[in-house]
Parts: sequence; structure tokens; C-alpha cells
Amino acid sequence: MTAGASAAMLGRVEAKEDVRPRRKLPLLSVDALLSEQQTLTAVERFSSLHDAGEVPEKHKIYSELLPLSKPGVGQQYAFEVDLDACTGCKACVAGCHTMNGLDEGETWRGVGLLSGGTAETPAARLVTSSCHHCVEPACMAGCPVQAYEKDPITGIVKHLDDQCFGCQYCTLMCPYDAPKYNKRLGIVRKCDMCSSRLENSEAPACVEACPNGAIAIRVVDQQAVIQASEAQSFLPSTPSPENTLPTTRYKTSKALPANMLAADFYAVKTEHSHPALVVMLTLTQLSVGAFVLGFGLEKLTGRALGSPLAQAALACFLAVLALGASVFHLGRPWLFYRAVLGLRTSWLSREALCFGLFAKFAILHGLLLALPNLAQLPLPSALWIENAARISRVGAALFGTLGVFSSVMVYVATKRAQWQAEETGIRFFGSMLLLGPAAVLAASAAPSETPLAMQDVRALLGLIVGTTLVKLALEAQILAHVRDRRQSVKKRQALLLLGPLRTATGWRFGAALVWGVVFPSMWLLLGTATWPVGVVGPLLLLGLLVGEFAERYLFFCAAPASQMPGALP
Amino acid sequence: MKHVTLKLKSAVRRLLVKSDGPLTRELLQKPSAFGLGRLPSRTLPDQKTTMTCGFCSIGCGLDVLLKNDEVVGLVPSKAYPVNMGMACPKGWEALTPLKGPGRAMTPLVRRDGQLKTVTWGEALGEMVFRFRAIQEQYGPEAVAWIGSGQLPTEELAFLGAVAKFGLGIVHGDGNTRQCMATAATAYKQSFGFDAPPFTYADFEASDVIVLVGSNLCIAHPILWERICKNPNQPKIVVIDPRATETAMGATHHYAPAPKTDLVLLYAVANWLIAQGKIDQDFISEHTNGFEAFREHVAQFSVERASVATGLPEASIVELAKLIAEGQRVSFWWTMGVNQSHEGVRTAQALINLALMTKNIGRPGTGANSITGQCNAMGSRLFSNTTNLFGGRSFESAEDRAEVAQILGIPVDLVPSKPSLAYDQIIDGILAQRIRALWVIGTNPLHSWINQSHLKDVLARLDCLVVQDLYHDTETARAADILLPAAGWGEKEGTFINSERRISVIKRVVKAPGQALADFNIFRLVAEAFGVDQHFSEWSSPEAVFQILKRLSRGKPCDITGISGYQELDRLGGIQWPLPAGVATGLPEMKERRLFEDGRFFTDDGRANFFFDEPRPLPELTTRRYPLLLLTGRGSSSQWHTQTRTKRSPVLCKLSPQQLHLEISTQDARELGILPNEEVVVSSQRGSLVARAFITPSVKPGQVFLPMHDERVNQLTFAAFDPISRQPAYKASAVRVERGGEIS
Repeated sequence: MTAGASAAMLGRVEAKEDVRPRRKLPLLSVDALLSEQQTLTAVERFSSLHDAGEVPEKHKIYSELLPLSKPGVGQQYAFEVDLDACTGCKACVAGCHTMNGLDEGETWRGVGLLSGGTAETPAARLVTSSCHHCVEPACMAGCPVQAYEKDPITGIVKHLDDQCFGCQYCTLMCPYDAPKYNKRLGIVRKCDMCSSRLENSEAPACVEACPNGAIAIRVVDQQAVIQASEAQSFLPSTPSPENTLPTTRYKTSKALPANMLAADFYAVKTEHSHPALVVMLTLTQLSVGAFVLGFGLEKLTGRALGSPLAQAALACFLAVLALGASVFHLGRPWLFYRAVLGLRTSWLSREALCFGLFAKFAILHGLLLALPNLAQLPLPSALWIENAARISRVGAALFGTLGVFSSVMVYVATKRAQWQAEETGIRFFGSMLLLGPAAVLAASAAPSETPLAMQDVRALLGLIVGTTLVKLALEAQILAHVRDRRQSVKKRQALLLLGPLRTATGWRFGAALVWGVVFPSMWLLLGTATWPVGVVGPLLLLGLLVGEFAERYLFFCAAPASQMPGALP
Repeated sequence: MKHVTLKLKSAVRRLLVKSDGPLTRELLQKPSAFGLGRLPSRTLPDQKTTMTCGFCSIGCGLDVLLKNDEVVGLVPSKAYPVNMGMACPKGWEALTPLKGPGRAMTPLVRRDGQLKTVTWGEALGEMVFRFRAIQEQYGPEAVAWIGSGQLPTEELAFLGAVAKFGLGIVHGDGNTRQCMATAATAYKQSFGFDAPPFTYADFEASDVIVLVGSNLCIAHPILWERICKNPNQPKIVVIDPRATETAMGATHHYAPAPKTDLVLLYAVANWLIAQGKIDQDFISEHTNGFEAFREHVAQFSVERASVATGLPEASIVELAKLIAEGQRVSFWWTMGVNQSHEGVRTAQALINLALMTKNIGRPGTGANSITGQCNAMGSRLFSNTTNLFGGRSFESAEDRAEVAQILGIPVDLVPSKPSLAYDQIIDGILAQRIRALWVIGTNPLHSWINQSHLKDVLARLDCLVVQDLYHDTETARAADILLPAAGWGEKEGTFINSERRISVIKRVVKAPGQALADFNIFRLVAEAFGVDQHFSEWSSPEAVFQILKRLSRGKPCDITGISGYQELDRLGGIQWPLPAGVATGLPEMKERRLFEDGRFFTDDGRANFFFDEPRPLPELTTRRYPLLLLTGRGSSSQWHTQTRTKRSPVLCKLSPQQLHLEISTQDARELGILPNEEVVVSSQRGSLVARAFITPSVKPGQVFLPMHDERVNQLTFAAFDPISRQPAYKASAVRVERGGEIS
């Protein structure tokens, strides 16, 4: 080949295949090398040195990091973290991950950073944490299927993986973000303080992995934990201990400066939107609202409004849809029936039970209303049917309302600042009072012997406008917190709503104003007589639903997580 | 009655609540062998083998756990003398990146602008064709290579041999230029050989530990733990402009203005001399050049150092006193010193302090460079780039003849000049003297200083061959030919750690697709270029180890006393030197330091004092760029360009996923920057957007960015230490502005 020819083929102009005279390479060895690459020789070659038992390894002495005795009455095991010894290497997290055989990316421990001090004396503390094995575990109280138990002797809060059906309510209940959802298995898993290792005087994985002995297991008096919580002496930038009484003790010989903040203190992160819960909550409230409104107005006016059958049908349909959504929100939906096991402590169980009964009464009511159309069937007397219909209606209204109340309590029980009782109550019962009338209006599209009177429509529209204004006032008041000086939970909420979630916020306020205020007002002023309820009613309901779905989506997304101090995000 | 109720309750609970089942059994622990305690039953190992970690130079022993020959886990080795059962998260997760996404599965060749899958034969044919044509037209020097301190010694040696003695390439360098060139050069001049004198036990034996430009807590966590195990309640002195994690854990922290450490150390030396706190006998018997050094440092008063460093005079005297009063003072440095425009002299200022106070050759002392990469030292000794094999010189006809004779090759194959340094190779590409580059196991387009310039330069190449585990690194994406390599854990060889400990790595995992060990790629290259006849003895890593033993004979790094891999494995690694005839395996052989007899590796056996006038920063801050950008390690779970660590979800969880600029409270206030706000950081060379982390741990006038984000080197200023040619990453003038968009 001439120099010119080879030069022409160089450079970024890719050489053309056809002009290249290729040297036939004696590359027979490639296959041999590839197969060599697939032969694992390490063990074979070195096995004589590493066969089981041949190299007896000294157990590292962990005795000073492990408890000397079993906990007595009123005592339990607890983590003790020496903040002075922790250097932030995070081996505890990786060690826990490996030695517990967790899935790829699954971690039960985390390391955050507290930073503060002055330019002259800057201060930083790394904070390693996992489950705090609380004296009053919120995860356990919240669990609807009794998948948590607190060991009566060791106090270790254990999660029963096979009992869990994956509702993830514990991840909302725990203020410290300890239970972790595993998508592959559809269940939550968490730290059990390596109880089986501990039982056999072996160090838990994190204790063993820490190069500096910063994590120890101690026996603590539960009374002392309660006292410590009274003194609020947990850690800066950390959820208050009074809620669950976490037992982990963080010790340091140097006083922490007053301005210690978590490294992620100013970061705001959009949380999971839980779409199934958005659908479930909104539609149950609609359904219950339809029932209660229909029932209530009938009692008030002493006459039926619109088509009770259509109302019941709509309510039943949506209730079934909502409950379906809630079931499919579970990691293991086929175990849905376990949901009522936690009735004694869990608002989620109560919610499930109430809505379950609501749906049953509602469906029964609907069927009974439909009965006259099935007169040819051999059925009990008309009076009996009427009574049954009335009772089932009362039952549906009662359990529906209790269900909505339980829904409120499900979130109030998490004790999170953004889900306080007033706010959540106004949101949820507001949706009921907003969507209920809209459903009654929409249902009147169906032919009825008792069509809605003009004043009924006016009353319902008035209710819609009023409720919308109350709800919007509440939500606007959250936005106002963006001016807060302190990075409070409300401010974080506002920052999320006006920042990464501003599109959804726009939809929320836009839809509510248009369909909850402007449209019904115009209807009130211009069209109560002329606008066809059968067309406008369903339209109004759909419009309002858009706004309420957006509201509920933001309820979850703009809810700053409660957690231990985080690292730089 | 109560009893009955309780019983009934628990019976009901048992009926309703499943406390056992397949999900519970997933994690159920059973007793395991090897002293590991209880482990989940599905990961109970039936065999275990120890190998050295492939990230940093600490060289921790990791126990790979196997069940039916498949890896089921990895735990730090308790019996290993380096880490004694400890590892940082990278060590724990060492095998995860191998199964991560992005692995190069087949050779690729760029055709019509796209990387296309080809066979090994086609890829090598292409490489031969292109390299040959370039060498024919422009001379053999027109092809160069950049290697890596991540490769085992045998592979580096084979690469150096094939490239230089086979392909006639003259210029090759490694990414070790970016981390260790300064220390290597400083040692070579001062001690006569690139010989870090310490053993890790010195951390535990010191009573004063001086750490300069070293964030040990984060960069070398296991070494920090060894300090924590020191029973003497040592004074831990950190000299670092930032209040790093290490500084916060220290007993004394001195924060001089960036890159003023040379003035500071000279002033300390001057004070020690003036106060008579030096060992005159040791100086006269074992060193050269002290008088000139004394005269040189006489001009460095405490006042002068105070002005230059911004430290109060009292602090400087306090530091000097700490050194004077310590019985066993050890000096340790890392990248804060090495990556500096006057790094060699700064390292030597530390060496000088150790020499004049006789803090050398005794337990708990030493002027000690902590290495960066797992095999930087193997690269320094045996990569055949700057030095001819075993610390020899390419310029020396005698050395060339000796090497040719040992290797059984014609002496005229050995080039008579050393390789250009990394930055000079890049200049060579710019000047079009170098037209093809072969990059092995490193990612210059992320890691090299002043990145945009390098991008422009590499685009001028006629041919870029990249040999890597992953096809998606910044550099691999720019390749014309990509050769898929097997990684640590998929191949064999030895590493040499910071304390000169040679240890083995093993093949415990099958490489994916057609990836091959770099060693075997070099064999194929030799064959493809038709030069394999010179390398018939280089048949396996262990065969090469035997060659390296011969090459080391009579050199300071003599390892002729090591029989082979089995012995290295059995003894938990062996520190060099180990000449033939020295017994291994004795307890005192487990931790050895150099220069206990006061004899150094220079011709006259004396150590040398080297010094120079301090020079100002190559890029000074200006009104337009008023802040000084420092760069460094972000967290213990990130490694360099993150080519590997970003493939482990656990490691990703343990490190920031966004780029944060650390800025002082004062500067943030003056610039009106709010916490967590997006800011634009600009230098004369580029801009990037980061989030502000306002922290008192950086001084006003300085900002800090971790090096792991690929954009950071778009800002850095390409200055180099003139002696070691190491880039100075830690001082660039920048501007910080509010707002999230680069204008």
C-alpha cells in the first residue's frame, strides 16, 4: 500500500470496508481466551488456602458493643450511636445491605449530615440511622394487618414479611422513614436489629461493619426513653421523639451548635403521588357525598330529589371503582381481606371496614331500589323491601361518613404537620360536600318521576360554590407560607406547590375556580331554568373531579417526608 | 383468667397472622462457615477466597463468598493485615459495578459515525491497519497510549513491553500522572528511589500525625480508622484550607490559604532549626544539602508565613512545637500536595521536616505519601513509561542492555528516551506529532484538567482506541475502536498498595459477552501486530510476575524472594522489598518500613534536601473571577469519574446525586445566594450550574466542588508541577452567580 493510499484512509473519515486489504489474523486463540474468561479459577487455584475451616478466623471482639445481659422488665435493646466516633464512611449501610442479603439498591440504614457552627468553628456530624425500635412504634399501630410485633423481651420491632400485604401505610406512619417498600416482593421490609445474630451473641451487620465501633447495642430503660422525649433531646433537624419514643441514643462529648441543620434541610423533594389513593379517596368521598346529600336533602325537604336509583347506581359504581383502586394500590392485592385485622389500633383498618360496609349497604340499597322493576321475581313484601332500602340507605350514609372520617384520621394519625386534622378534614369532607351535590345533579340526567326542582338545583350549586371557596381559601393559605422566614413544613409545601408542582397547582386552582365557582355561578345566575340539567350536571361533575384529583395529587406530592437528617441530595 | 385470655389471644393471632412463609425465609439467617456469623440462608457460602480491593490504594482484603462457584457475597476480610475486617462502602459493593448497565460486550468500530459491533479479529485488524499506517507515515512516535493505575502490575508491564518493544511506541503514560507523579518524583529525588517508607502500623505508633492536603476520612476511610485505633492518644494535625471531615476529627486544624503550604512548611522548618529542635547527628550522617536548605528557609520567618497563609503567628509556632515535641511524628500527604503547581517541593518540604527531625525509619514516623489508585505504585515501578522497568532509566545504555538481556529481546527494541508525560502527549496531539491514542482503563474526557481543551484536542486524532469495561464513559463514546475489557474480579494479577504491599486479585466472576482480560487483549494485540515472538514467555499474569521478579533483582524494589501468587495469597500480601533468601511469614515481616538503618537508595546512601522559592498561583483570582475553586473527593462512596461507582444503586444512594457548590456563609450572603439555590459557577474556560451548599467549612474567598461530576473539569485551569508534570486541580479562579441558567 502506498503512503498516499493509507493517508487517504486515515483521519476521521472512516475507512471503507471494501478497500481494506485485511491481514488474515491467526486469531484462533480468541475463542480459547473467551472460554478462559468464563472459567473461574480463583477458588480452584487458591482453595487449598481457603477451604472451610482451614483458616479458622478469630471472631472480632465486639463484646464492648453488645449488651452483656438480656433486657429486664421495662427495658429493651436499642442502638447507641457515638457521633464522635462516626466518620461518615457509610460502611454500616453497605454492610447491612450485604449481610442481610437485601435486593439491589435496597437499604435499611441511612447516613445523613448535620452541619452548622461558625466560620471559626465549623461543626458537622454524620448521623447513621435505621429503625429506632420505638417504645410506641407508629408503624405497628398503623399496620392494618398486624404485620408488626414488638418483641416482649428484646423490644425489637419486627416486621412479619409474610403477613404484610404491601399497603405501605407504615412508611407514612413512621416519622423516621425506617420501613422500606420492596417493589419486587410487594411488601415492606425493615431492620430487625439482626435479631437472630444478636440472639447468638453475634454483632448485627451495622455494628460489625462500622470500622470505628460507632454503633453499639445497649439495654435501655423504656422509662428513660420517655423522659428523654420529654426533654426533646433527640437530634436537631429530626422529627420530635414524643410521637413514637424512638430508643436510639446519639451520644457526643461535644455540644452541638444551636444552628445545626440537616444537609438536605433546604432541599424540597416531590413525594410519591400514590395515584391509587388519589382515586380511592376522591371517589369514596364523591360516592359517600352523593349518598349523604341525597339522603339528607330528602329528609330536609321531605321529598325525593332527582332519581334515587340513578344516584345510588352512580354512587355504587364509583364506590366499587374506588375500593378496587385501593386494592390495587396494595403490593399483594389478593390479601386485601386482611385489612381489617388491625381494627383495634389502625385507622386504615377502620377505613377499610367502614368503606367495605358502606359499599355493601350502598349496593344493597341500589338493588332494593331496582327491585320494583323486577316485580315478577318471587320476593318478600313491598313493605319489607322499603324498610330494607331505608335501613340500607341509613347504613350506607352512616358507614360512608364514618369511612370519610377514618380517611381523615388515617392521615391525621401520621402526626405530620401538613396533614393536621383541620386541614385534612376540610379537604376530605369538603370533597364530599362538593362532589356529592355534583353527583346528585349529574344523576338527575337519568329520567325520574321526581325531577329536581329549581330551588334544589340552586341549593346544590350554592353548596358547591361555598365549599369550593372554603377549600380554595385553605389551599391559598398554604401558598402564603412561601414567605415564611423559617423553612417550616408549610413553607416546604408552598415551595413545592409553586415550584416543581406548579403545573398541577395551576390545574388545581384553575379547575376549582372554573368548575367550582364560575360555572356554577353562571348556572345560578343565567340558567337554572334553561340549562339542561342532564347535560350540564355530568359536565359539572367531571370538571369538579379534575380539580379534586389535582387537589388530592398535591395532597400527597407536596407533603414533605418526615425523616431523619438527610445527606446532600 | 387473665392467663387464659392471653393464651386465647395468642392462639387467635397465630391463626390470623403469618409469621413464616417464603418471604420470611428470603432473609432467614442460618449459621455460616468462615466465622461470618449468621447470614441469609440463600447466601450461605461454601467457599471463600480473599482478594485485594480494586478501588483505592489502601488495598483492603475482601473475602469473596461463593456457593457452587457463584459469588453470593463479599465481606471485608478479618484476617487481612491492612483492613482487619473493615471496608468502606466501595469495598462492600466492589462486585456490583461488574453487573451494572453499560458493559462493553463486544468490540466496536466506528463506521459512518456510529460504533458498530465487530468481531475481535475485525477490531484488532482495524487497529493494526490504522496504527501501522500512521506509524509508517509519521513515524513510530505518532502513536501513544494512556494507561491506568487501576490495572494490575502484570497487565501494565505487559502493555509497556508490547507497546514499546513490540509496536515501537515511545510515548505512554498513565492516569497515575494525575495522582501520584508528584510523590514519585519527590521520593526519587530525595531518597534516590520512588519508595514510600511507611507501613500502616505507623498510623498506630505515632504520637503526632500530620496530615497535609488529605481528607483521609472520606478518601481513605480505613486508614483513618487505623488512626482511631492508635492507643497513644495522638495529636492529629490537619493542614487543609477546608474544614473537611478529617479536619473536624482532628485535634488541630490549620487552614492556610490554598497553595501556601510550602511557605508554611518552610517557616516551620526555619523555626525548628532556629530553636535547635533538629537532629544534627542524623542530618550530618545521613543527608546531603542541609546547609543550603538552612540558608534557604532562613528567609521564611513566622511573620512571613503568617502573611502568606493567613494563619496567626501563634498557630504556626504551635504547629512547629507540636512537631518538635512529638516523639514519633509522621507526615502524611495526599492530593492536596500532589495536585499542586509546586507539589514536588511541597512534598519534599515534608520529607525535609522528617529528615531533619529524624522522624524517619522509626515506628510511627516517616514522610509518607498516601497513594490514590489501587495500583498506582505498580504502575510507577513496572509500567515502562517514564521509567524503564523496575525504576531504571531509558537514557542509560546499561539499563537498556540489562532489561533486554533479562527479557531476551534485542536491545535495539528498547527506546533510549523516556515517555512524554500525559500533558505533553496531549500537546503532541495538538501539534499533530501524535496521531493515534490508545486509552486503557481510564476516562480522560472526564478526569483531565481543562476538559473542553482536551475534547478539542482528542477530536484531532486520526484514531482513538479505548479499552474499557464500559462503552458509555465520556471517552469510550468518542472512540474509533472500542475493545471490551474484563474488570477487577474477572481477571488475575497483583496490586501494590500505599505501604508497598503486593497482593493478588483473582477471577471470581465471569466477564460478560466477549469482554477479555486486558492481559489477554495485549496478547492479542501482540499477535495481531506480528510481534508475539518477543513475548512468548508473557503467557499469563503469573508468568509475568516471575519476569517482574527478575527485573526487580538488585533494585530497591527487589521481590525475588516472593515465590509467587500462592505465597502472596497465603501471607495476606508481602511488602517490597523482599530479596531472595529473606524468610517470609514471620510475624515481624507482616508490617515493614524502610530506612531503619538510615541508608537511603541514593548512590551515597544519603537522603537529599530539595527546595525552591515558592511561586504564586498560576491563575490568580481577579475582579471578574474573584473566588478560588478547590476540587476534591465528594464522598466515600464515589470513586473518581464514577465509571464504576455510579453502577451500584447502593453507592448512588450514599452520594449526592446533584452537584453542590460548597460556599462560605460570608460569600453567599454577599452574593445574595440562598441555601440550595441554583448558582452558575464560571471560570475563563467554562460554566456549570450547581446547587449552593452554604457551609462554614469553606473559607470566604474559596468554593469547593467534588470532582466526580463530569462538568467540574470544564472549569479547572491547566497548570502543572514543572518537575512531576502533575496537573494542579485544586486552584482555579471562578465566579459564582445566582440563577440556574448559563448566560
